Amino acid sequence: MIVPFTPRVDRQFIGKYRPKVDGREKASGKAVYADDLSLKSKFPGLLYAKVLRSPYAHAKIRSLDLRAALAYPGVVDILTYADPDVASLKKTNAGWTDGVDTVSYRKMMWGTFRDRFVLGDTANWVGDEVGAAVVAESELAAEEGLRLIKVDWEVLPFVLDPYEAMKPGAALVHPDITQDNIFPPDPFGGEEVFVDKGDVVAGLATAEVRIECRSVYHNATQGSLDNWCCVVDWKEEELVVWSNSYAVDQTRMHVSQMLGLPIHRVRAVSPYVGGQFGRGDTGDQPFFLFTAILSKRSGRPVKFKHTRRESFHDSRQPADYSARIGAKRDGTIVAMHFKSVGNAGAYADHSMFALKYAPKEITEVALAHIPNVRFETRGVYTNKLPACMMRGVGNSQFNLIFGQVVDALAEKLGMDPVELAIRNFGHEWESLPDASLSSVLGSGASRIGWKEKRHAPGKGPVFGDRKRRGVGFSFHPAWHAEWQEVRRGKVQVSITLNPDCTVLLNAPSVETGNGSNTCNVLGCAEALRFLGVALEDIRWGSTVDTAIGLKDCVQTDSAVSFLQSEVMAVAAIDLKARLAEIIAPVLGVAESEVEIVAGEAFAKSAPGTRMAVRDILLQGDLAPITVVKSRSPLATKTGVPYIANFAEVEVDEETGKVEVLKLVVINDCGTVMYASGAEAQQIGGQVIGLGETLTEEIVYDKATGVPLNFNWIDYRIPTMADMPDIEPVLLEVWKGAGEYGACGIGEGTVTCTPRAILNAIYNAIGVRVDEIPATPEKVLAALAATALTATASAATGLAAKAGSEGRS
Amino acid sequence: MTEKVRAGAQADAPMGTIRFRVNGKEVALGPESGLTASMTLSYVLREKLGLTGLKVSCDEGACGACTVLRDGKAILSCMSLAVEADGHDFLTIEGLPADDPVVEAFAEQSEPGHGTALQCGYCTPGFVMTTRALLNENPHPSLAEVKEALSGNICRCGSYQAIAQAVLHAAEKIEKRRVRT
Repeated sequence: MIVPFTPRVDRQFIGKYRPKVDGREKASGKAVYADDLSLKSKFPGLLYAKVLRSPYAHAKIRSLDLRAALAYPGVVDILTYADPDVASLKKTNAGWTDGVDTVSYRKMMWGTFRDRFVLGDTANWVGDEVGAAVVAESELAAEEGLRLIKVDWEVLPFVLDPYEAMKPGAALVHPDITQDNIFPPDPFGGEEVFVDKGDVVAGLATAEVRIECRSVYHNATQGSLDNWCCVVDWKEEELVVWSNSYAVDQTRMHVSQMLGLPIHRVRAVSPYVGGQFGRGDTGDQPFFLFTAILSKRSGRPVKFKHTRRESFHDSRQPADYSARIGAKRDGTIVAMHFKSVGNAGAYADHSMFALKYAPKEITEVALAHIPNVRFETRGVYTNKLPACMMRGVGNSQFNLIFGQVVDALAEKLGMDPVELAIRNFGHEWESLPDASLSSVLGSGASRIGWKEKRHAPGKGPVFGDRKRRGVGFSFHPAWHAEWQEVRRGKVQVSITLNPDCTVLLNAPSVETGNGSNTCNVLGCAEALRFLGVALEDIRWGSTVDTAIGLKDCVQTDSAVSFLQSEVMAVAAIDLKARLAEIIAPVLGVAESEVEIVAGEAFAKSAPGTRMAVRDILLQGDLAPITVVKSRSPLATKTGVPYIANFAEVEVDEETGKVEVLKLVVINDCGTVMYASGAEAQQIGGQVIGLGETLTEEIVYDKATGVPLNFNWIDYRIPTMADMPDIEPVLLEVWKGAGEYGACGIGEGTVTCTPRAILNAIYNAIGVRVDEIPATPEKVLAALAATALTATASAATGLAAKAGSEGRS
Repeated sequence: MTEKVRAGAQADAPMGTIRFRVNGKEVALGPESGLTASMTLSYVLREKLGLTGLKVSCDEGACGACTVLRDGKAILSCMSLAVEADGHDFLTIEGLPADDPVVEAFAEQSEPGHGTALQCGYCTPGFVMTTRALLNENPHPSLAEVKEALSGNICRCGSYQAIAQAVLHAAEKIEKRRVRT
């Protein structure tokens, strides 16, 4: 049964079920993406670049023989690591920022880990883009040219497993940064023990009940359909980069800083982007730079794009978490000790964010009432695909252990895990129980049928001889409330009112699919409702261009759903004041006496006599009125709302196959900005969430380090036939600062899915599988191990019984 | 020169002229167009004819984003060579009428409980064309039949549940228009 969401405050535009503003453009195939705008017919003289990719997990180029490649028809130029244009570039990384702010080279967040050369001579994973880039008249010629380069590789020892990598004598991935592959402390993340509140050792020692858990998160990949693509045209006066970067300001800053160009000589443009999901971290990717240099040298525009196989370019960071938890018998948690080892792969990028920053945020909010908490982590370099953001940064990985802790501790205490959660978790600014968490869990429990379906682990009814069902859940505090966005800096919009009361909206934000453009148009109409503006009166653009001079609001989570709308609400006040200046002399009253309602102006003292604002403006000088507003997110600490996923699964004990029967996704949003879009995020996130839990995994050949499934046949993304019924539940319990007080939900829809499903599997079969993906092999192995233990203990029991009987 | 490059050079050799129809228009691609034996239909439709509605994502038949209709049936244009197009009649998303019921249903989908039928929109033209082919063959599909027919298309944003609803709504729209006329 579908229960539509009901808004806390009924507004005219915000919070409704309605089509997307770009629905028709996208459904008719007219929406333009980077690969579409960069056809040769649109860029006369276009050249194509291809880059050398390492066939080895770890290798150094001794020399390159370019003669045959340069002689191949159509090959125009080859850039190599030895070229001064490239060799002079600074070492960098691909995650300058966490995506909310624009940062310079000096201010990059993880400056400790400048571990990438642009076209360096050393490859650190199979597929690493190193050594040489070929530019040619056609893609085919570029590919053939690449094949004709003779590379003399010095093959180096490699390491794939983080535990192996930490052992003395292991191959060193970045010896200039670390001599044992373990990340050194960094100014932003801190030491290995990065949270140490109270006394966790004493807390655990005095606890009445203790549990230990372990959860292993593997390396899934983002899988955006719109593969990386850029065209760079570097003419003397200006370098223009068209791409599917989701952060044009940061792309401009990256190019400007790395190539030493003043900001006004660089222009970055992004049209619609076909999905992002965190790929490429913040997009400070070396390929922008070598493509630019190839353009400068050839004097022609150059296009670089990844094939789908090449788009397996980074993964969610694999993390192995263990936990020791202590509690009182009444269910009060007294100590939590988490340890993790993160496999960063070949380059650090945002690894420390995933391993330290995200758990730190959790401590501040969800764990605020736990007296003794310690987190420690080791980030480790290996010769695998670099780890990266993926619909969240470290949140899903931490949730995999967090949700297990709640489930396992509740079992040990004989409590309902819903009760245990509400008893212990909230946030720093509120006493327990937390209203948001209570509502979210209460709502999820009722929608999944928790009371009726939850049973003792493995003790539920059997379906069709060998299938068992179970239910489970996991929850997490949300992030991207206003106060958590302060580091983003100014959020900018401009609103221009034309004399006929139509509107030009500039709220730059690259639309990657999470509906920021729809939310912005709705937010603009809502802010200008005093003018009676309809949605079709607002002109907005799908292309974001740094040339307009406003910073783009970067999509992280779905936070852009409200960030720019909050600024528009403030801009509307300015616009109204500007209109009052114009209208006051017409009405013959003071500015303070002017009121405008539904597009009509009147003197407050004479509300009966009204003039259409449009008529007044059309009688004037016809100059458009433009209001530009820059506003920092509000720093008022409001805490955060909660999110949860509830799952029902059916496990076939003979084949080990897990079928998810139902998922309920609950988000407390503060304010739902756009109901259809929010539900699309809630439902949509489950494709990544369910895929990561059951089928998606990058598989390596351990003997060579070669990834074996960089394609969508063997790397299995769920299709329509694989997905269960998903019930989205939108709530408005918590409220943040500002007009709307909303919160991003897009990333969080994925965060709790794996653990909710794993807890449901445990509830179904009474055996834990705590390493994802939970493949049939792992489920069967876990069942077999338990069966063996059971047989062994039964045998021991029998023997003991026989022995005691013998004695009697 | 290596064997591979000779093979590449051969694949790159100019072809004779091929003729086919796209969206009701006759197309002839001769040697002057740069057509080669190795070019896929998706490449030619996009790069030579500018029909960029279809997307090339996996380029190996796994995602469905490049779906077009050939003689009324859905095919993956990345898995078909341009030279095989000779004599066939193609429909790409650009050839659908402005009031196409499938396009409308996808664009409008927004009722409670299912979300929207598109988010980033990259897979959408493929889904729309697969749906067109399905409804040509089966004007009243059940939900199970919709899921079966559309399970060759990947939507990473995960709008499957709303897409299925949009397909059912499109079928209703077609039926209503049929009754009216």
